[in-house]
Amino acid sequence: MKLISRLTDGASQAADWLDSRTGYRWLLEKVLYEPLPRGTGWFFTTGSVVSLLIGCQFVTGIGLSMYYVPSPSLAYDSVRFIMTGLPLGWLLRGLHFWGASFLVVAAVVHMLRVFFFASYKAPREVTWLSGLVMLLVILGFALSGYLLPWDQKAYWATTVSINIARSTPVVGEYVADVMRGGPNLGALTLGRWFAAHVFLLPITLITFIAAHIALMRKHGISGPLKTTPGPGAAFFPWHVIKDTFMMAAVFASLFAVAAMLPAHLDEIANPSDASYIPRPEWYFLSLFQLLKYFPGPLEPVATMVVPGVAIGFLFLLPFLDRSGERHPFRGSRKWFTAAFAVMGLGVIALTSLGLKDHPASSSDEAGLLPIAGQQLAESTGCQRCHVSGGSSSPLASIRLTKDDEWVLSHLADPVAIAPGARPDNEPAPKPMLSRFQAQAVLAFLRRQYAGEPVFVVNPDVQTAANIYASVCVACHKLDGQGGTVGPNLTHVGNRRDYESIRAIIEDPLSQYDESQMPPFGDKLPREQIEAMARYLAARK
Amino acid sequence: MTLEDGHLPYNRLKVTERFPARAGEAALPREQPCMEGRRRFFVRIIQSVHALMGATLAFVVGGAVVAPSFTRRQSTWLTASDVGSLEEGVPKAVTLRVARADGATEVIDRRTVYLVKDGASVRALDSTCTHLGCRTRYNADSKRIECPCHGGMYDATGKVIGGPPPSPLQTLHARIEDDRVLVEV
Repeated sequence: MKLISRLTDGASQAADWLDSRTGYRWLLEKVLYEPLPRGTGWFFTTGSVVSLLIGCQFVTGIGLSMYYVPSPSLAYDSVRFIMTGLPLGWLLRGLHFWGASFLVVAAVVHMLRVFFFASYKAPREVTWLSGLVMLLVILGFALSGYLLPWDQKAYWATTVSINIARSTPVVGEYVADVMRGGPNLGALTLGRWFAAHVFLLPITLITFIAAHIALMRKHGISGPLKTTPGPGAAFFPWHVIKDTFMMAAVFASLFAVAAMLPAHLDEIANPSDASYIPRPEWYFLSLFQLLKYFPGPLEPVATMVVPGVAIGFLFLLPFLDRSGERHPFRGSRKWFTAAFAVMGLGVIALTSLGLKDHPASSSDEAGLLPIAGQQLAESTGCQRCHVSGGSSSPLASIRLTKDDEWVLSHLADPVAIAPGARPDNEPAPKPMLSRFQAQAVLAFLRRQYAGEPVFVVNPDVQTAANIYASVCVACHKLDGQGGTVGPNLTHVGNRRDYESIRAIIEDPLSQYDESQMPPFGDKLPREQIEAMARYLAARK
Repeated sequence: MTLEDGHLPYNRLKVTERFPARAGEAALPREQPCMEGRRRFFVRIIQSVHALMGATLAFVVGGAVVAPSFTRRQSTWLTASDVGSLEEGVPKAVTLRVARADGATEVIDRRTVYLVKDGASVRALDSTCTHLGCRTRYNADSKRIECPCHGGMYDATGKVIGGPPPSPLQTLHARIEDDRVLVEV
């Protein structure tokens, strides 16, 4: 007991001394006991929610930066490591990933609150402008953060964003070159987007937050639409309690979302994969959708004019709307409210149209190639070297660091460590795997590298995969992979039944008058043809 | 201009009207005594909720930051040599390539171990000097394991026989299986 009272005495003496030297109590009182206008309610908690989410992004971002490596050869691996190798890493990335979405929403809600309460009016014009800059900075964070995982989605969405910048009249090419750090999207792009994401934008944001809060304090908050004369309550604790409840609710939702929906990580970026359909994050979807209505030479209307007019309107708002009226539906204010409503409805409509336009997701389907590739990889002798303690990484932990052409050459001639170095006049050995089979193995490795193991439960599927990967893939597309000589087999079950598919595989001329497809009745065992036909007939 | 209800818009009020009853020390609005209990209760709630949010973030971020410090390296058994090539009591240096996860990447460590045949069993010694971590080597003339850095000397069983090393060479688990010597690294 005596010890405790001594300790508290000591602490208060130390605090007195610190106060006598720094005057921190004065600052604390000034910060906490600011009187607020009477009737300041729940609507005035939106700024606190934004601060909370920015704080979360900073803290989780610092955690992530200890593991992330901003280089194309390691960025993806480091994110995969965070997701699978690091205890709590998936939750850390989940909080940061979903926090970005929460922050965009919270910032927009805060802006709407300021609009509806006309808080941007004199003398708070500069506060409004600093807030708008921060909204753009937050969108810049979202855009630059998107590239960092270096997965398919990151690579292709960034390609699209840079191409949008390129459509700027006159200077577009230069802007795109600066954004990419050269003519191609690659290591230099990743480096500068990373620097922007972790240095440039945070410094800008911190500076503007400081200015925003200082201005808010300088002018006091605008308070409710209907002012009531008389003393208001102090900020602390009478308003902070509301802030706290709102922050806790948002934080709990963010945590729940991050815990239940782990952040996605696609396959590693593959610049040669033309079949990937890039989709932006939802908060850029409206802009993305807008592009579809302004094709060709009109494109700058969607990329520059419409967003430019909207942002310009927001920046000019406090100078256009100068009446003393604060009510959103009275006097000249109603026109500005109408303009806001039009913009809001436009964004909502475009976003929902964009969500509806979601292309049939072929990428969710693994397809047959990885299934065949797995069996090939396990049966062809890869494990002579690719085992624990062997001369190369075990099959299960292979990282794809070389380009596709290298991997395919290595699969054809595994002993060659410098594919392409063999002189033309020296005959290449008989390939271990055909080109198609090698592609199947590559598809499997890619899939496994993305942390999505291949499971086969149905033996028909395994048989079908093996046949498809060694024969059919040459001419037929299935789930976006394969040749284009023959018809696409992805939904062949809708067109034909089991019997006719089997008959075509055995002898195409039994079903068609003319066909370039060779008969397989004498090349493949009957049960394999039947398994293939069963599999295809079930594809609807 | 005034609003319909006769009030000035808030931003047109003079500062003294916005924040009335502000003078000297009394700038802090003093709540009535009956509010004091409520106020204390609110402060408690604010403190606890913020502490809870902070603790949650600290758990996730801190956990992810410190977790790798506690991961132990997994050991594997690797084939180091065949029994026939070992001489009784003479250390044979074997370099093993050990793959090890290094964060997001994988590195290959080259670890040199001494295999010493001791009757029917084999002893495996780590070649790292226990003094300051230099790589030792076997001197066939003196029949001693010597450290080039500070003159540490060990005999074929790893025992210190001279110089500064504080302890014998680290012994690794080793076993013989069908004529092959396996070492746990």
